[in-house]
Parts: sequence; C-alpha cells; structure tokens
Amino acid sequence: MRCGKGIAGLSYSMISPTQTSIESGIRSVEDPQLCFVGQEQPIMPIEIQDHKPVVEALRDREQELSQLINMVPSHLWRLTPEGEPTFFNKRMVDFLGLDVPDMDRRGKSRLEMLVETVHPDDAAEFRDTLNRCLVSGEHFTMRYRLRRADGLYRWMSSRAEPMRNHAGRIVHWYGLCHDIDDQMHAEEALRRSQQQLQQMIDAVPVRIWSITSLDDPVYFNKRYQDHFRAVIADFEAIEDPRIETLLQELIYPEDAPEVQRTLLNCFESGRGTVMRFRWLEKDGAYRWAECRVEPRRDQDGTIVQWYGVSLDIDDEVRAQEALRNRERELSLLVDMVPSNLWRLTPEGETTLANKHMADFLGVDLQDKRQLAVVFDTIFHPDDVDAVSDVLGRCLKTGELFSMKYRLRRHDGVYRWMSGRAEPLRAPDGGIVQWFGLCHDIDDQVHAEEALRRASEQLARATQAASLAELSASIAHEVNQPLAAIVANSQACHRWLSAAPPNVERAKITAERITRDANSAADVVSRIRALFRQAPQTRSSEDVNHLIGEVCRLMADGIAAKGIRVETDLEPNLPPVALDRVQVQQVFLNLVRNGVEAMDGAMVDGARTLQISSRRDAIDAIRIEVRDAGTGFEHAERVFEPFFTTKQNGMGMGLAICRSIIESHGGRLWMANNETRGATVAFTLPLKASESS
Amino acid sequence: MSQREEMVFVVDDDARVREAISELLESLGWQAETFAAAADYVAYAKPDFPACLILDVELPDINGLEFQKQLSDDVHPPIVFITGHGDIPSSVRAIQRGAVDFLTKPVGENDLIPAVRAAIDRDRIQRSARAELAELVRRLETLTPREREVLPLVVSGLLNKQAAAELGISKITLEIHRSKIMHKMQAESLADLVRIAEKLQIPITHSRRSGSLQECPTRSP
Repeated sequence: MRCGKGIAGLSYSMISPTQTSIESGIRSVEDPQLCFVGQEQPIMPIEIQDHKPVVEALRDREQELSQLINMVPSHLWRLTPEGEPTFFNKRMVDFLGLDVPDMDRRGKSRLEMLVETVHPDDAAEFRDTLNRCLVSGEHFTMRYRLRRADGLYRWMSSRAEPMRNHAGRIVHWYGLCHDIDDQMHAEEALRRSQQQLQQMIDAVPVRIWSITSLDDPVYFNKRYQDHFRAVIADFEAIEDPRIETLLQELIYPEDAPEVQRTLLNCFESGRGTVMRFRWLEKDGAYRWAECRVEPRRDQDGTIVQWYGVSLDIDDEVRAQEALRNRERELSLLVDMVPSNLWRLTPEGETTLANKHMADFLGVDLQDKRQLAVVFDTIFHPDDVDAVSDVLGRCLKTGELFSMKYRLRRHDGVYRWMSGRAEPLRAPDGGIVQWFGLCHDIDDQVHAEEALRRASEQLARATQAASLAELSASIAHEVNQPLAAIVANSQACHRWLSAAPPNVERAKITAERITRDANSAADVVSRIRALFRQAPQTRSSEDVNHLIGEVCRLMADGIAAKGIRVETDLEPNLPPVALDRVQVQQVFLNLVRNGVEAMDGAMVDGARTLQISSRRDAIDAIRIEVRDAGTGFEHAERVFEPFFTTKQNGMGMGLAICRSIIESHGGRLWMANNETRGATVAFTLPLKASESS
Repeated sequence: MSQREEMVFVVDDDARVREAISELLESLGWQAETFAAAADYVAYAKPDFPACLILDVELPDINGLEFQKQLSDDVHPPIVFITGHGDIPSSVRAIQRGAVDFLTKPVGENDLIPAVRAAIDRDRIQRSARAELAELVRRLETLTPREREVLPLVVSGLLNKQAAAELGISKITLEIHRSKIMHKMQAESLADLVRIAEKLQIPITHSRRSGSLQECPTRSP
C-alpha cells in the first residue's frame, strides 16, 4: 500500500489486488536478481486458481506493468537507500538522454551523476535535501530545474518516498517527478503581470479605490494612501478605513453630504455615478476632484466589487469657471454695449441681436423666429429698399456694409441709425457669418440739422453784424483823426484870431490838420479797398523800413507798458511790391496784438516783442512777430471774423490781416510758442503782382 | 494871451487827439499837460492850481470810468470825459460819480470851453471850501478839551444853565467857556458858530427843539 501511495494518481484499479505480486513482477523485469524475492507465498493461490500457465500470465502482467510505467506521463525512478539510482522509467531516460547504466562513470557515484543533471543553481539544494531525506527517511519533495537531453533545463516537481521492509529498514526510494516548466512559466508570467498591474495601479496618476460593500474596508491605491497620509494626521492609526469617515476627513464640508448621498444612492441602486467635489490637498487647499464609480458584476449580474477613480480636475474646473466667467462677461458686454449688435448668416438671416437691440425693437431675444420676422419690418419704408439693396450686395460680394437708415423703435418711432457689418471668414476665405452694429445717431442727425440751420442763421446774422460792427470800427478809425482835426482847426483859428496872431502855432496846427485828414482819408480808402476787393495800388517798398515806421509809431505806447521791442531784420532785403497802407495796418495790428497779449495778463519774465524779417526761400520774405504773452487760447479760431479775446476788441484784426496778406499772394499764420506767448508769421512774395 | 493859473490835464492814448486837444486848450489860454496813460497822470506831480482832468474813456491801461472810481477816494480835479463812441449808460454812470461832462469826439470848442470852465470853477470852489474847512479845523484844534465838550452843547441850542447842568459845572463857568469858543472860532454870532460847527461836522448830541434833558444820551446822574 505504501508503494501504491507512491504512484498515486495512476491507474490504481489496474493494479492487481495482490500488491506484492505486482512488485515482484516489476522486480523480475527490472532486476532479475531479485525475482526470487517476489516468488513468495501469496502468489501461489493465483496459480492454483488459474488454469493458465503461471509464467504466461506473469509475462502478460509484466508486459502490462512495464507499459504502464513507461507510459505514465511522469518520470519515475528508484534509488537505493544510499541514493544511487537503480531505475529510470523510459520517459525519464528519454528526457535525460541517459539510462541508469550510463551513469556509471569512473570516480563518480551515480548519485553525483544524478546531481549533475540538476540546474547548477538548484544542485546544492537538491543534494542537501536528498541527503537529508536519505538520512532521516523523510519524504523528499522539491522543485528544481532538470537538464533535458538537449541541454535545456526544465522545471520539475519531484517527490520521493522510501519503501521499508518488515523490519522498517529502507529498502528503496521510489521517486516521481513531472514537468511543471510550463506551469512555472505561467505562474511567473502571472506573478509578473500581477506585479505590473499593481505597479500600474499605484503609478497611474489617479486615485483608485475599491470596496466590496459599504461596510467593508476600502482598498486604496498607493497614490490615494499617500494622499490620505499627507492630509489626515493619524491615517496610519485608522485600522479599517471606512469610506464614510475618510470622506469626512477629506472632502470639503460643504460638498461632503452630497457626496455621501450620491455614494449611498449609487450602492443602493447599483448604478455607477460621477461626482464632483472639492477635497483637501496636502498644502491645505481644497481642489476640485471628480470621482467615477462603477460596479463590477459577476456572470450572474451580482455586484461583487465597486471601483472608484478620483482625479484632480481643479485646473479644468477653474479653467471652465474662468471660461464661463469670460463668456458671461462677454455676453454682458455684448448686451450692455450701448449699441445694437446683431449677427447674420451668410444668407442674411438674423440669428442674434443683443439685449440693447432687442429692447430697442421690443423683441423677445429667446424667440429666434420672432427675430427673423421682426427684421423684415423694422426699416423705414423709405429706406428699406436701399438697405436691402446694399445689404444684398454686401452679402454677395463680402464687402463691408455701412450705411445710415431709420429703424422703427418698439414704440413705432423711427430713429436714424448708422449701421455697419463685417463678415467673419473661415480660413478658406468663406464667410461664416456677419457681425453688425448699428448705432443710434438720431440725436446726432437732428443736432447736425439744427446746427446747420443755426449756422445758416448765424451766417445771415454775422453778415448783418459785420456791417454794423464794421461801421463802428470804421467810425472809430476815422473818428480819431477827425477829432484831432476839429480841435486843431479850432486851435488854429484861435491862434490866428489872437492879438497878436500866433502864426507859428497856427502853422503847426494847420500842418497837423493836413496830416490827420490824410490819415482819415487813408483809413477810408483802405476800407474801401478791402471791401471792394479792388486791385490795390502797389508800390515797391522796403519791408524793414515799414517795420521801423510802425515801431516808431507805436514806440510811446509800447514803452509805457514796459515792453521792449527787439528787431532782427535781415539787411538788404529786396523791395516788395505791396500796398503800403494795408501792410502797415498788418504790422500795426500784429504789434498791437503782441503788446496787448503781454500787457493783458500777469506775465512773468521779460516783456519782449521780437520782430524779425528774412528771406524765405528765394521768392519770398518772411516776417515774424513773436510775443511773450499769454498765447492764443483758441488758436483755431483767431482768424474768424469777430472772434476776440479782448474786452474792447472787435475781432476783425487778424481776419483782416490775413485777407490783406493773402491779397498780396502771401500767407499768414500763427502758432503758440513752446515756452510762452505766440508768434504770428507771414510771407510776402517778391513777385506779388503775379500772384495777386 | 496870458496864462491863467489854471491847469488842464489831458489823458488820451491817441497822440494826435492828445496833441490837438492840448493845442486847442493852449490857444484858449489854459496850460495843458498831456498823458498817454492814466498811470502817467497819477505819477505826475501836479501844481496847486484849480484844474480840470480831460479823460478818454478808452485808455490803454485802464478804462476811464474805472479810473474815475479809483480817483474818487482822493482829492482830484473835476473830470470831463471824452469818448469815441459814448453810450448813455456809461455817461450816466460817469455823471453820477461826479463827472462834469461826457463829450463825444470830435470835441469842438463849443463843448470843450464850457465844460473845462465849469470843471475849473467847480475845482476852485472845492478848493476854497477845502481851504476854509482847513482853517476851521485849525481853529477847532486851538480849543481846550473842556471847550470841545462845551461846543456841541452850545450849538445844539441848549440854554447855558442846561449845558452847565449837563457838564456839572456852574453857569458862569460855562459862559466863560462859551465866550472863549466864540473868540477862538472867530464866530460873530451863535448862528455863525452853528454854521461853523456844521461845516466841521460836529455832531448835534442834544435836541434843540425840545431842549429836553430826557433825550440826552450823555446825561449825568
């Protein structure tokens, strides 16, 4: 029986009930010397019962057993109590490529030879284990690599047990080993794949958990554990991490109840879910996370496990939030921009109008259909054809749309709009849609109209005013010499009527009368010339000389104001053909303006009036009058007739000056100085007659 | 023509006008001094003659009317305005502020002579009034403090005994004071003294009509 146990798993039923006879059969074949041992009594009854000749029967049996032993898909072997192999079955012989007799080598025991067939890495252990078993009689059991005939090592699972005789002494060791190489490799592969899986689970940048039921401890992957370790102070102390306690520790208090509810609901219903919540990170900040939970079901559909994957989506959430904010802002902007914004399809169908426009038109923004209908009826009947023409052309050609038209407001009032639209093009140049803007310019249009009317009125008024004002101005200009003439003539009369007559004084006064009368006549003729635009009498004059005259004329008044006049006159300037009186008037005006500018306001620094003359290019002379006064506050208006900053001024001065200079073919302009004051400059062409 | 001790100042920015007016004035026997600007006139040391100031309304440094307003605080000769284009509001304002006349250019002798004469006459009167007042002030200053107390009581029309009672002195003493006052102030009669007091603007502290002591604010106990 003991032996039978040694070959357990083989065709036990085929073995004869007389165990010993089988053994003897085996022995007789393998070891003829031992045949006698087998011929013991128990065989005898077989012989007696069977009529067949015993030898034949034995031969059949032996044949059968020998076949069995060789056909068993394992290696079978037998050792002496000392460990010397005495039998290998055929499979083993084929595997090793050597039979027991082949192991008899000089100087080496069979056992040593046997050890040599074991993989060098396993040989020592094999020898030791075997030796230990041989000594102690323990069962030998071991896995090792055995060298095949072709030199390849294959994993073997080997077992051997001793057979003892009646005295309990070990007679033989019977061994079996079978090839487990494929199994070993499969196991190895499995182990490796498990390891890889584990590594992957631990390495993926997500936090994974699994749970069998809510009451069970949760499995967390390494990343999750690290997370907990970083966030929960005494994480290691928690024996069985329950999902509820962990959630409390980890999830933002505001989000926790909802997560709890969702999870419970999920486990109850057996459906997966996706949750978003904020969890605590190791830096103490809460970050957004998303957790997907799915059940794993077995073939019956029963849930065996729940799996959860949590990943950080904070950046994404924040980006989305920023995007949403931006979108909201933009949409607010679109709605709040104080203009009407709209969008058209390339075919011209309105697809969007901003709130401003919807309010203006009195349309419901949501109802796109209404939008389209309304857009057909909002244009003023007088404009609708023009607008559709232009818009139609733009839609076709892609050119910018820009025109003014009237739109009907919700209350039925038409208001002027300035509309513009531009196409948005795809990279291939095709128009994706049109964006339009129309701006209420109704007030502006009306204001412009009012302004135009006002300016017409003003033009008429100024015509009248200019005559009235001008006559006052003329009156003054003429009145001064007249006043002098009247007084002088009476004085003259007095001197002559005196006893004795003072002829000398009378003469002086008479001369003055002549002078002043001429002066008055000059004014009159000058004004006449100005207003008739009659060709002036031109004389060839030295500009520097004229400047000198004016300075002398004004010297008194200028000196009285503490103003210094500096002249920088280029010598030997060619004479210019000009109207002496007119140009003198210009000089007088400019000098007076400059003086008044410096006198009129509190001006610090030197009160100096600079007058310069020089050649300007080859064909003109340029004169500049530069003051250090207050400058012009309304530089663009100084040439307007009747524009004045002086309390008693009429505002004709610069306008007249300019028309005088222009009638001479020159130019007159002014500019404020960089530091202070202003400069009025004018040119006089040397060939004035040609240009006038 | 002999030069009178009278002076005409002409302020006008137009040299021709200035010249002609002064020529005319001189031919009429007045001394004339001309100025192109008001500031020049102010700076000029004026002789102590009856005078007239002919002032152009449109002056380069200051408006003539504004200048008149500035002068009004000081003693100055009466003003005759001349202007190129006079308007009624300006002339009314000028006259209200004491101008003698407001003439529009051209100004002839028919307008100028009476205006200048009237101005100089007014100045003469003003001057003599100022001189008389100065004399009276000088006399007033010769009074003793007690006499200066007595004077208002006397000119208020109080009887001697009332005035004496007012000051807590005897009637005799009061009469002595009164006689000294009459002498020092060179008053020929009580009526004369009252006129002098009026010119000196001595306040009438007691009612002359009722003579009632009840109305006297400075009544002694």
